[in-house]
Order: sequence, then structure tokens, then C-alpha cells
Amino acid sequence: MFVLKPQSGVPIYRQIRDQVRRLVASGQLAPGAELPSVRDLAVRHAVNPMTISKAYSLLEAEGLLERNRGRPMTVASQAKNSSQLSKRLQQVQPLVEQTVLAAKQLELSETDLLKSVRQNWENGDE
Amino acid sequence: MNDMAVQASHLSKSFGPKQVIDDLSFEVSRGDVIGVLGKNGAGKTTLLELMLGFTPPSGGAVSVFGHASGQLPGGVKSRVGFVPQQDELLDQLSVADQLKVIASFYEAWDANLIERLCAEWRLDPKARIKSMSVGERQKLSILLAFGHRPDLLVLDEPVASLDPMARRQFLEQLVDASADGQRAIIFSSHIVSDIERLANRIWILKDGRLNWHGDLDSIKESVVRLHIRGAEQVLAGLSVPGALSQRHEGAFATVVVRDWTPARQHSIEESAAVEVEVESLGLEEIFLELHR
Amino acid sequence: MSTVARLVYSYFMCTPMTRALTLGGLALYVFSLYVMASWPQSEHMLAFAAAGQIALFLGSAMMPLMFGRIAQSKAMVLLPRGRLKLLFSALITVAIIAAPVGLVTPFVYVAGNGGKFSDLSKYPQLRDFTVNTGLVIYTSSCILAGWLYVAMWFLSSQRNMAGLAKGLLVIVFTLFWPAREIRELSGTIAWNIQALAVVWTIFGAGFLFWPRLKMVRARWRLPNFLGTQTPALRTSGREVDLILGTRNPWLMIAALTVPLVIASRIGTGVPAVWLFFLTIFSTVTGAIAGQAAERSRALWLRRGWSRAEIFLQAERSFWRHNSVVLGVLLALMVLIGSYTSLPLNLLAAGIPLLVLGTVLSTYLGFMITRGIRWPEASIGIAIMLSLMAIPMLLEAENANLAVVCAIEGCLAIFAIILRTIARRRWEQIDWSQCRPSRALSTRQA
Repeated sequence: MFVLKPQSGVPIYRQIRDQVRRLVASGQLAPGAELPSVRDLAVRHAVNPMTISKAYSLLEAEGLLERNRGRPMTVASQAKNSSQLSKRLQQVQPLVEQTVLAAKQLELSETDLLKSVRQNWENGDE
Repeated sequence: MNDMAVQASHLSKSFGPKQVIDDLSFEVSRGDVIGVLGKNGAGKTTLLELMLGFTPPSGGAVSVFGHASGQLPGGVKSRVGFVPQQDELLDQLSVADQLKVIASFYEAWDANLIERLCAEWRLDPKARIKSMSVGERQKLSILLAFGHRPDLLVLDEPVASLDPMARRQFLEQLVDASADGQRAIIFSSHIVSDIERLANRIWILKDGRLNWHGDLDSIKESVVRLHIRGAEQVLAGLSVPGALSQRHEGAFATVVVRDWTPARQHSIEESAAVEVEVESLGLEEIFLELHR
Repeated sequence: MSTVARLVYSYFMCTPMTRALTLGGLALYVFSLYVMASWPQSEHMLAFAAAGQIALFLGSAMMPLMFGRIAQSKAMVLLPRGRLKLLFSALITVAIIAAPVGLVTPFVYVAGNGGKFSDLSKYPQLRDFTVNTGLVIYTSSCILAGWLYVAMWFLSSQRNMAGLAKGLLVIVFTLFWPAREIRELSGTIAWNIQALAVVWTIFGAGFLFWPRLKMVRARWRLPNFLGTQTPALRTSGREVDLILGTRNPWLMIAALTVPLVIASRIGTGVPAVWLFFLTIFSTVTGAIAGQAAERSRALWLRRGWSRAEIFLQAERSFWRHNSVVLGVLLALMVLIGSYTSLPLNLLAAGIPLLVLGTVLSTYLGFMITRGIRWPEASIGIAIMLSLMAIPMLLEAENANLAVVCAIEGCLAIFAIILRTIARRRWEQIDWSQCRPSRALSTRQA
């Protein structure tokens, strides 16, 4: 379910948090869906369980996840609705920044970039 | 029962004129997994040995579960496990015999766990230790420290001789051991990627002092590389507080800083009229930068 | 308690060789007891009992090695009550190992006097006498066994000349005192028990409080008396000698002469005992020859020699070293011989004896190209026994020089055979199968 890169500069808990947000926002994790337990995830990816539990706690505080006694964490039923447009835009913001910066470094114009974006958008729909 | 696994205050150790450990103070709670990084000769092994009472400190004090390290009672000793850098196996014995000898010292020995791990890690109980490869010997050393389910596990370069698959198996086992949050694990390693996976706190030893001690997450958020774009004269005169290294080429400058907070980005951009892009670094990069 | 039991069991049974020696020795011993108890005039079975006892003792040879290694390990600091349990295991091993030789006494008397055990109960004086003698022998054997273990530990764990010297010193000491007491039954129970109590208390206290003593030593920066490092005197010289460890014969000479000089101070009545010692010492050269094969690996890449040439070069290097040691030993023998008025025929037989001791042990050492296995071990034991038999034969009343010369002649031929075997093995040597030479890490004592 998750792709974890321990050697990245991004702390693991943040990687999990961002990925859960994306998956919930895109609907791949529906409300009520169960997430793997802390221990399972830790052993499978060979990472510290506390970092996973930290990510889960933060997501619970955000309202994205629900804790159930004796059972694994599940996606909160209000999750998708509470994910407003602004929050979802926040998800892609870093990627947009990177793309814009790269384009500027390559001395592409705004029009060129938008053309490429539109092309990709239409290709993705097929 | 004392919740502090290890506690040290102003710990120091010198061998003759050479000061190996200099005024260290720290606390290790149950549930912590601490990765100790440092160059060769930085004092990692000495620190671990001081903690467990192998060698007396020259100054300061260190205690384990509330008892001074030099005089640990038998009950506390059975809650501690140690994997030394060089194995201390008895060459003439077989694997099974070596396990039985060590097991006999402890009242609570988890024979099922050991049996399962022997099978998983492919250790033949009948093999003679002197005919085993270095990796197998190291695996056995690790098993010897696991068997009595210690509350404090201290490992000195435990995976130096293990191939990647064996290392992964060992990591999974450590993860499993730390999953209930009741164990304290301290291990030193050169293999930074393992520490990145496993540790939630990092100690970086440099010249006998703790150059950094804190959460792994916060070190990754605090030590970053800045890519700054701006006018050449501005960049030439730019000084960033807390900079570890600085490079300047034309309209670009690269600065590595410690103690970074997101708020500083705005203040730098505004005060110097430059554009700042923040790159987060992996632990190996951070280690190299801190030692420049 | 289960720890102590498990440790003692491991000492006797953990390697195939010690297991065979332990079980074989026990079987031999029990068999001889049975014969002595059932058949009259069977006291010659004592030889079998003695052989069984020796085998049993060799079977416990792991004890000093394991004890030493565990004691010096870092793990020992963390094993709960580790030092105490280890100490007990050593004491119990000594108590066990000395038991057979004490227990055999009543059987010998029963067998010798053509009676049965029921006789003993009829004659309480005889019973008391045998029990008393048995206990004397038992306690003396405990003392002897303890010191022999110490000697074995020095020899096996400190693989350098200092360790060799200490081990030999202890062996010489035991041959003079505890062994003589056993031979001559000159001890008393009370004295022995007191001696045991004193020695074991000192050893036990020192062992248990060793960590605290270390701390005191560190704090006061006292010198390390039990040092394990041999000082490197000069390191220039032929490369071959340096690699093989034959650079400096004077280290070995020092290690051998110090015990001999000390023994000479204590003195002994029988001149042939000197010959005995010197013979044993002459075989010590084999100890470093045993490492020649694995060390020669370094020569393979450094020079363009073939394996056959490496053998010849190593042989030459060892003779450069051993000839000096042999020369000194021969000189010592002549000196001691004239000092103790050794009869001339003993001297005449003694010179080839020392030469044979050196030659045989050196070539046996060369033969060790794949670790010490049954062939090498049995040859070694056979050589030692025959070399030791010669001084004993010479000491006998009707010493037959012809027999001695014949034996020496056979041994000389045997030496040539050993050399041929060694050379052939070296021509086929597979260094990855030599005993793995793990660098013995310098441990903080």
C-alpha cells in the first residue's frame, strides 16, 4: 500500500502521512477501509514502529483516521468530505513548485509549460 | 520500577592522556531505539561499554534501570543483552551447545524463539562454531543476546559482517522486538540506512561529545541544504547563521545549515532579496555534513 | 545450579575428542575396578585404571580453555552471577577429576590381598587405612589437578613465550610437589585440605573480585603483572624468519631455562629426572612448528617459490632457530649432568634423546597442515610416550643400553618418515584448510 523510502530527506512519518492523505483524497482508501496495523507495517518495511504510530496519531488528530479498540485503524467516514479543495490543492503544491522551478531553470515560458500540462492531462484521460 | 533504562550525567572516560568520552549526559527510556553514529575512533564502543559497566568511567556516572553500571545486581543483569563487536563464541563448541551454555545462566530463556530464529536465519544447531563463516558467527552472537528477552538491548556494530538479506532479517527481528514499545534498544552502526529505518533517536558522537542527540525526524527537518539564487554580490556577502558549509558559484549558492526552521526561509528571502529552495537530506548526507 | 551442571557437562562432552576421551576413560576405569573387585591378584589392573584416569583428565581439557575464554569475555560482566557459577564449575570439575584415583585405593588393596570387599569390613583397621590412604590420594590429586589446569590454561590461551614459560613453570612445580606426594603417599589429609582451602580461597576471591581489582589497578595505574604481550625485541631480520616466527630463539630459550633454573633450586634426588625434563622441553620446539604451515601462506605470494621450495625454506628457517635452542639444552644437560654427577651412559644416551625430541616434534609440527586430527594427535602421544620411556628405562636398575639404542634408532628412522610425510603434505598444501588463524584480539586482561 505504501512506498516508504527511509533514506529520503523526508521523515518516514511524513511520507506515510502524505501518502494516506493522497490515497484518501483520491478515493483509493474509502471511508471505513482498514489500514495495516502498526506492527505489520513496521515489520514488512523494516522501519521503526513508533514512527508509523506517530503518523497514524497525527492523521487521527486531523480527522482522517479513526481508532477502533481492538481493531486496526480505519479511514474516518467523514474523511473525504472534510478534505476540502484547498487541502487537496495543498497536496500537489510541492510538485507544482518543483515543476515551475525546473521550467524556469530550463528557460521555458509559462505558455510552454501550460501546453505540456494540458497534453499530459488529456493523455491521462484516455 | 524505574522507567529510565539508562541514565548518564557528565560521563567521561579517558585512557591515559587521551580523552575518549567527554562530559556526556543523556537519558534512554523504554521504547527508545537509539542509533549511535560516529567516525571510527569517535568513542562509540567505549560509550556502550561505559553504559554497561565493562569499564569504569573517569568522571561522572551512568546507571542502568536505576542501578550504577559498575555494580549491577543479578536481577538487572538478566534484563540486559549485549552484542559485542567481536564475537566471544567458544570455537570448539557446536551452536546448540553454545546456546545451552549461555541459556543456563538465565532463568527466563525463550527456547521457542531461538529455535524459530535458528531456522529462519539458517543456523545449523549441530555446526561447529570454528567452521562457521563470520556472518554466521555474528548471527549466533545476536541470538545469544536475544534469548533471555532483555528489556535493554545494546548492540555494537551488530551487522558489520552480515549480507543484505541477513541484515534485513535481523532488522525485522529488532523491529518486532521494539514493537511493543517496552524495550530500549541502543545500537551503533556504520550502515546509516539501517539506522534510518530503525532508530527513532540519533546520537552522533564526534570527538567524544554528543554532536547531536535528538529525534531522527527532527534531525532531518533541522539539517537541510539550501539552494539560494540571487545577485552575485549579495550572495558573496551572505552569511547564514548555523551554516555548516557554504558554496558559491555565480548566481547560485549552496548552504547547509543546522537548526533550520521553515520560518527562517521567509526571513532570509526577505532580508537578502534572494530565492531560497530547501532540500532535505538523508542521514548519510547529514552525517557527512556535520563532520566537514 | 543447572548452570554449573551444564558447564561441567560441556567441559567433558562438548567436542568429539573430549567426549571420546571422557567416555573411553570412564569405561576403562570402571572395567578395571570391576576386575580388581572380582578377581584376586589383579592389582596390575591399576595400570588400566591409571590410563582411564589420564584419559578422563585429558577429556576435561576443555575446562581451562572454556573457563579462561568465558572469564575474559565481555559477556561475563553481564551474565547474572556469572563469575560465581563459573568458579563453582571449575571447583566441581577438579573434585570430579581427582575422584577416580582416590577411589581406586580400596580396590587395589582388595585385589592385591586376594580378598573381596567383605574382607574389608571384617578388618576395620585395614578399612580405615585404605579409606585414609584413599582420601590422602584424593586430596593430593585435587591439588595436582588444579595446578595442571592452571598450566594448561597458560599454555593454551596465551600463545606466546610468556605463556609457555608460565605453563612450563607450573608443570615443573607440580612434578616436584603434588605429584611426588601422590607417588610417595607422603601427605596427610589435614595438611592437604588446608592447602586446598588456602589455594582455592585465594583463587576464588581473586577471581570473584577481579573486576574490582581491575578498577583499582586502572585508578592507580599499576603495571600489569600478568602481561600477555611479549616485548618485541628486534624486528629486523630475514623475512622468512619473521613470518614464521623463528626470528628470535632466545625468547624460547628464556622460556625454557627459567623453569629449569628454578627447578634446580628445589632440587631432586634422581638425576634421570633432569633428563626427563630436558626431553620434554626439547619437544616444545614443535609448538611453534605447528603453526608453520598456516604462516607459510604469507610466503606464497611474497616470493616466487613453489610449495616444495617453501617447505625447504621453512625447514631451513626452523633449523636456524632450533639448532640454537638445542645447543643450549645440550649445554644445560652437560652442565647439570656434571653438577649432579650423572653417570656417563645416561649422558651418552641423553644427547641423541634431546636431538630426537627436537627433530620429531618439529617435523610433527610441520605435518599439521589441516589442523590437529586423530593421526597427528596419536603420533604426538606416541612420540611423547616413547621419549619419556627412555629416561625411565635408563633409570631402572638393570638398564639395558642396547634396548635404549634400538629405540632411539627406531625413532630416528621415524623422524625421517615424518619429514617425508610433511614434505609431501606441503607440496599439496591447501591454505584455506589450515587451522583458521583468527587474529587473537588483544584483550584487556
